Amino acid sequence: MESFIELLTQMNPFNLVQVLFWGLAGAISFYFSIGNARVWTSISIGFFLIFLAQAYQLNPLAESYPILEAYHYIIGTVAIMTISHGFLEYYVFCRTFEISGNKIVVYLSTLAVLIASAVFLYINPTPSPNTIRNISMIENSIWVFLSVMNLELIRKIYSVIKDSDISKGFIAFGIVFVCIFIWKGSYLYLQIFQWDKDWQNIIALMTDEVSNIDEYMGRVQFSQEVSRYAGLLSGVSVGATFTYMYKLLK
Amino acid sequence: MFLLPKGNPLFENLAVSKLKLPDVLTKLSNGAFTGYASFVFQANTALLVFEAGKLVSVLVEGQNGKRESGFAALSALAELMVTTGSGALNVYKLSKDLTMCIHALLEGETLYKAQELKLIDIKTLLEKVKEDQMNGCLRIYTDEHSAMIFYKDGNPLGFFHDGSSDIETSSSESQKIAGLPGAKIDLFSTQSADELMGTNLLEVTNIQKIWDTSVAQHKSEIDRTNLERQERDKKAVSQKLAELEEHVKSIVGEYVGKVGRGIVDKEISDNGGNACLIDADGAEKFMKGIERAAKLLVSGTNIKLMMEKLSSTISIAKSEF
Repeated sequence: MESFIELLTQMNPFNLVQVLFWGLAGAISFYFSIGNARVWTSISIGFFLIFLAQAYQLNPLAESYPILEAYHYIIGTVAIMTISHGFLEYYVFCRTFEISGNKIVVYLSTLAVLIASAVFLYINPTPSPNTIRNISMIENSIWVFLSVMNLELIRKIYSVIKDSDISKGFIAFGIVFVCIFIWKGSYLYLQIFQWDKDWQNIIALMTDEVSNIDEYMGRVQFSQEVSRYAGLLSGVSVGATFTYMYKLLK
Repeated sequence: MFLLPKGNPLFENLAVSKLKLPDVLTKLSNGAFTGYASFVFQANTALLVFEAGKLVSVLVEGQNGKRESGFAALSALAELMVTTGSGALNVYKLSKDLTMCIHALLEGETLYKAQELKLIDIKTLLEKVKEDQMNGCLRIYTDEHSAMIFYKDGNPLGFFHDGSSDIETSSSESQKIAGLPGAKIDLFSTQSADELMGTNLLEVTNIQKIWDTSVAQHKSEIDRTNLERQERDKKAVSQKLAELEEHVKSIVGEYVGKVGRGIVDKEISDNGGNACLIDADGAEKFMKGIERAAKLLVSGTNIKLMMEKLSSTISIAKSEF
């Protein structure tokens, strides 16, 4: 018990709150997918996977398990891809009114991708801190790119269904993706200019490189704060959006 | 049509709808029948005169008085038999001489037509009939009454007037009509009975072909009428279905929004067209499809209301088809 309390004290309280919100959002989205069409299954699973990816950060020893650390970034990547697949299917439905496919296929496909990713990590050399940072950068890049794409899909979906009950829910999803774009985009900005914490750790221990972080501390701190609060807002907005959608479709 | 003496009735009031003209003619011909057969329809009458099994004359008269004879009459009779659901056949056996006179009446040479009696010397005319040994028929009539005198070789065979059913020997009725004001006469002459034997319409016409053509034309007419009716019905159904489809679209549009019309179009297309709306299985699949799509767009409460409205509209529409 004492060791558990000690573990909790080592946790970042901000991360803890953020993960709690993501947990709530994941639970609501997962509940929402039950009894609903397949497009919602993809979107809900995606948001649930974000919760899993974020939850790993609560582990104070996260950085001690490089394979797990790399894997949680992969889960994050799979999450946004699944969400985007859902919105793409919704957009196709709005244009063609075609509802095809099976929920089980979505569950199994997501599981298959996660297993394949795990196998990929297992059969390759243990990821170095640099490799893990690369994977994180890829994840953030995909998130930023797909957030923009999803915003465009949401705009198009809204223009088709704006006089239906659910249309305002898509405005809420738009807000979610603006938050996610800022959250992931601000962190990607730090990574691109090598002002992120991971890079600082790498150069402190492993290379002779010198960082220019001190020259831009203001924008670094601003980006870090933006990333933290946008991440928190993303979790809150996802939870609120699914609650709102549930109310709209009740 | 003339009223004719009935002689010896062989058949009376046979339903024409059950008869075939070639069969009737073959039967009368093979039986060496002498007399006449009358086909009585609602608006037409046909008379066929036989002499020892030979068809010597045919006459078809319509309600408007239009007459046809020979081949045209046989074709008209075949058509009447095929197309008219009602009608009766009467067959009367007559003597050879009387048959000849009937033929004269129907198709003989007209010597006088609607000649006012007071303007001619009837006595001289009758003497001329006798002198010329005429075969034929003298018809005396007013607007209300009619009598006929049949002659063979210039000698009267008998008298026949409306109200009687057979040849009489007394000329009193004919004389009475002749004395009425406005009385007129027709005089028809023909060849002798022996000469008539040289004529047989059955030999120069293909009755079976005439009959088959009439049957085929009638069938074609019925088919065409049926086709027209089917097309008319189809058009009416199509119109009703289009109205139902529009109604369904307006209901779905009311709850789902403008995208609802597209959803209805898609479901109708997937279920083989708007006829699915009045088909039990098709309507069920259509409703399921609409419900599934609506779940992505509207609340459960609105879906329930919409489905109830749709179900009621489709049920009412089904009962009207």
